[in-house]
Amino acid sequence: MRELNAIQVDDHHYQVDMRGWVCPYPKYAVEGLVRKFDRGRLDLLVDCPSATEDVPKVVKAMGCSVTEINQIGGGEWQIVITK
Amino acid sequence: MNQVPFRKRAWPLWVGAIALAAANVGMFAFMRAIGVFPQLSMWGAQVYNLAGVKVDAPFTVYPLTPLLLDVHSMINFGIVLGVAAAALLSEEFKLRKEHWTGYVAALAGGVLMGFGTVIMPPCNVGGFYSATMALSLSGPLTVLGLLPGAYLGGLLMKWQTQRAVAALDFSAMPKGEPVRARSSSAQPLIGAAVSAVLLAAAGYYASVGLTKHAGLLLFGALFGVIFQRSRLCFTSAFREILISGNGTLMKWVLVSIALGTIGFAILKANGYQPMHFVLPVGVHTVAGAFIFGVGMSLAGGCGIGVLWRSAEGYTRAWVALLAGMMTAGSWVLIYGKHVGEGWLYGKPVSLAQYGGYVGGTAIVFLFLAAFYGFILFVEARKRERA
Repeated sequence: MRELNAIQVDDHHYQVDMRGWVCPYPKYAVEGLVRKFDRGRLDLLVDCPSATEDVPKVVKAMGCSVTEINQIGGGEWQIVITK
Repeated sequence: MNQVPFRKRAWPLWVGAIALAAANVGMFAFMRAIGVFPQLSMWGAQVYNLAGVKVDAPFTVYPLTPLLLDVHSMINFGIVLGVAAAALLSEEFKLRKEHWTGYVAALAGGVLMGFGTVIMPPCNVGGFYSATMALSLSGPLTVLGLLPGAYLGGLLMKWQTQRAVAALDFSAMPKGEPVRARSSSAQPLIGAAVSAVLLAAAGYYASVGLTKHAGLLLFGALFGVIFQRSRLCFTSAFREILISGNGTLMKWVLVSIALGTIGFAILKANGYQPMHFVLPVGVHTVAGAFIFGVGMSLAGGCGIGVLWRSAEGYTRAWVALLAGMMTAGSWVLIYGKHVGEGWLYGKPVSLAQYGGYVGGTAIVFLFLAAFYGFILFVEARKRERA
């Protein structure tokens, strides 16, 4: 089974690395991820451009917010989700 | 939020939809409409012949031709160069490796798309988008296969994602260092170099009298830039209607088809290539579209989608592209005849035979309105459930 690579950065601050997961995987994953973590900050790393459009829409529809989208390299982004 | 420079900003969907329709009408007026899989099938047949296996190309109007001399293949090369230039200029290119399960899905998706394209025929953009604009009865009918096919493929992807998320435990996550942003890249410079190669190649073809080759290369690049910047993905458009209850993408695709249909109908009504992209229609249209629909979801893109992602550095798309090419390229060996011949295929039917080009256009608009209404119904159901 394919697994997600995730770490705890700090208290209530997590990073889930979805680089290597093509679209639409990040969009499908973020709903479950936002539901699962209780509160704080979740950094979602993605490398498909569409995720920078799709993921914030799903997050906002769930009543949470995307506070930053940072390009961290060629074709790679960090989407900062707060709950 | 950080201010994003213009070259990195995605184009709004409405810009992509209008630009796509204008480019398709323009390219039809120049020579032909958009579609990429028949050329890919010819490439696959060429590989078999180079390996010593004699096989004809599956589509008779796309005969075996050296790739750099094949005028239709110019569209595919143009898409690859246009996407690569746009992706590099916006710093979105990356050599993306995949988990082995992704390569297996791409292989399966490519094989299914390869069979789908010769059974339907041809592909999602050619068989649905261009064919509907060209007033081919087959165009609207492909939806009956592409929609459930894409849904089934999407369900498999969603199930795989849900399993991975379910296995995460936020309370027992290992501590680690976050990934830091890297310094600026040379991608824009390489993108400018790719653009120069594209223009030089078009200039060379024009200089030796192959103006159609030059034109289709540039039109292909234009399509590549439109797809890459607007993210107007036809696979996603079909898949997300029933998976997410979100039909935004498809609604813009339908607007694009409506605009393009007017242009195609005017050209055809004036006697210009009246049977262009009017394709065989029958049970095979729906069956082939269903097979193609499952395949494009698993592969992560339709014919244009995998060409586009290949040029963005998705190795998953490379596998799908090769698998699709080699499968479709073997069709004459498997079936014994070309696409459109024999027991499997029906006859091409133009909607213009029902009340002329005005009547045919009206039928296409009725279909588009019905599909649009279906999407609104699905979206309303989703809102009710939420």
